[in-house]
Amino acid sequence: MNRRIFLMGVAGALAGCTSGHKRRLNVLNWQNYVADNTIPDFEREFQCKVRYSTYGSAEEMLARVMAGNSGWDVVFPSNSFVGPMRDLDLLQRVDHKRLTNLGNLEQHFQSPEWDPSLDWCVPYMFSATGVIYSKKIAHPITAWADLWQNDYGRRVTMLDDPAEMFAACLKRLGESVNSSDDRLLRKARDLAIQQKPLLRAYLNEEVRDQVVAGDVLVAQMWAQVAQGALEASHDLAFCFPSEGFPQYADNTSVLRESKHQDLAWEFVNYLLRPTVTRDTVIAWRTATANRAAREILPTELGKNPVLYPPEDVLKRGEWFRAIPGDAQKRRDIYWTEIKSA
Amino acid sequence: MQRLRAWFLAPGYLVTVGLFAVPMLIVCAYSLLSRGPYGGVTTPWTLENYLRVFDPLYLTILWRSVWISAVSTAFCLLLGFPLALFVARAGKRRTLFLNLVMLPFWTSFLIRTYAWMFLLRDTGLINTVLQALHLTGAPLPLLFNNGAVILGLVYGYLPFMVLPLYATLEKLDPALLDAAQDLGASPWVTLWTVIVPLSKTGMMAGCLLVFIPCLGAYLTPDLLGGGKTVMIGNLVQNQFTTARDWPFGSAVSLLLLILVLGLLRLVARKEENLL
Repeated sequence: MNRRIFLMGVAGALAGCTSGHKRRLNVLNWQNYVADNTIPDFEREFQCKVRYSTYGSAEEMLARVMAGNSGWDVVFPSNSFVGPMRDLDLLQRVDHKRLTNLGNLEQHFQSPEWDPSLDWCVPYMFSATGVIYSKKIAHPITAWADLWQNDYGRRVTMLDDPAEMFAACLKRLGESVNSSDDRLLRKARDLAIQQKPLLRAYLNEEVRDQVVAGDVLVAQMWAQVAQGALEASHDLAFCFPSEGFPQYADNTSVLRESKHQDLAWEFVNYLLRPTVTRDTVIAWRTATANRAAREILPTELGKNPVLYPPEDVLKRGEWFRAIPGDAQKRRDIYWTEIKSA
Repeated sequence: MQRLRAWFLAPGYLVTVGLFAVPMLIVCAYSLLSRGPYGGVTTPWTLENYLRVFDPLYLTILWRSVWISAVSTAFCLLLGFPLALFVARAGKRRTLFLNLVMLPFWTSFLIRTYAWMFLLRDTGLINTVLQALHLTGAPLPLLFNNGAVILGLVYGYLPFMVLPLYATLEKLDPALLDAAQDLGASPWVTLWTVIVPLSKTGMMAGCLLVFIPCLGAYLTPDLLGGGKTVMIGNLVQNQFTTARDWPFGSAVSLLLLILVLGLLRLVARKEENLL
């Protein structure tokens, strides 16, 4: 999600095999989405060489593969990007016969709303957005509305991400996070501008250290990032706001342009193995869509209420969806107004 | 002979055309097209992207960028001039000091900016020391404001001011200074009537080299400004990422380029020997 990271340049390809005639696979993934041994193990088992690179935002990935001759085989689109990428004719239809491990997925990820019969993608990891806060504040945070209270001495941060900012404001208004209604978007913008004087900054992952150190008392945060902070400090707690909250999932897809279809689907199937996914989850504290993997996780991760919110909490969640072009443009103008206010 | 010369120049031309002219033409073309639904560009051709820049919202951002850059440049000049003068007069240790000025370039700008975040934050070094010495009761709000942005820009671009200033000051004929002294000018008068006027070209070059990258900065306002300050660089970056409006992003970056070129011409006309 961090759009700044692409400045740092793309991480180098992992060292692979020595032979020059091995099969090749090109994988473009989010940062922090495989364990150290995931790629080397795959290379060894399937006698191939993997070119592995990462991206920091879904938009960046889309821009890189949109031309249709990018040279990548496997990508990890967010749920709201699966539809657009399908419409742009970028994705290869899922061949269920090849994916012998598909049954390992959690029941509700077998038919998610963004791709009900898993024709274009295989759910991989998911998370949600909530609020992390210091237990030292007077009243625990329970709602988005609490972030508009002038109680924390400007030690509050919101995510530097328009979709998340609008989601928080729209949920506070009791509306859908995906609203395209101009009247509602204006209201949401006004709420955000009203909140700005109470904020320390708009920060993404980089706020984690400051929450742990106590610089920031309350922060809008992705559950997965929050989990890292919660493990680093006992003074912190996490809440999924009562008005509702956005959820997102990243999925594995094979590009239509891929010249290595066989190996690409082998890779997708390999990632569905419980042990492979378990290692990634342990390394990065992500939440997996893979039920079989979750079952073999240590209890503190597999039954973790931040990574895997219980049913009654999940009922308040709403999946991010693709926003139509016009509404996207309005949202960007309002976002610039908020940031410039 | 003529043909040989053409062959030697060919790689240079190829690089200029292929890596500069062609991308610029693509940006020009993009800026006249419409926004594609998922990024990218599509027909019809339109001037709307250019008209949109004149919305007060974007003019405010442009104005903010200009004054933040101007203040940063002024601070760079204030700090850079004495430093350049000192280095130019350091005798044998000149090379050592010059290398020290350039030393920060050995580390990524991103990492150095993060280092400032660690220094400036509430639980950072500066606030911890101030509180330990009982100079302040509560942490000072050092990070995430325009002051922090300007500090970051001054820190980042100071060497660009020092180097051209050093180049002019180093060439300054010591005999002129001796003459001024012999004729009874105090060091202060010598500075203002001899050294400063003679280093004007260096100052101009330094100011341009600092002002231009400041104008396009986006990392510093994002990290040290905490995303609460939008500069023109952030606006452009946002168009190519979350907003997925490449045509508007292209138009803004072209207008920025025109602004910078105009500025260069203005200065170049005044200082014929500068460029």
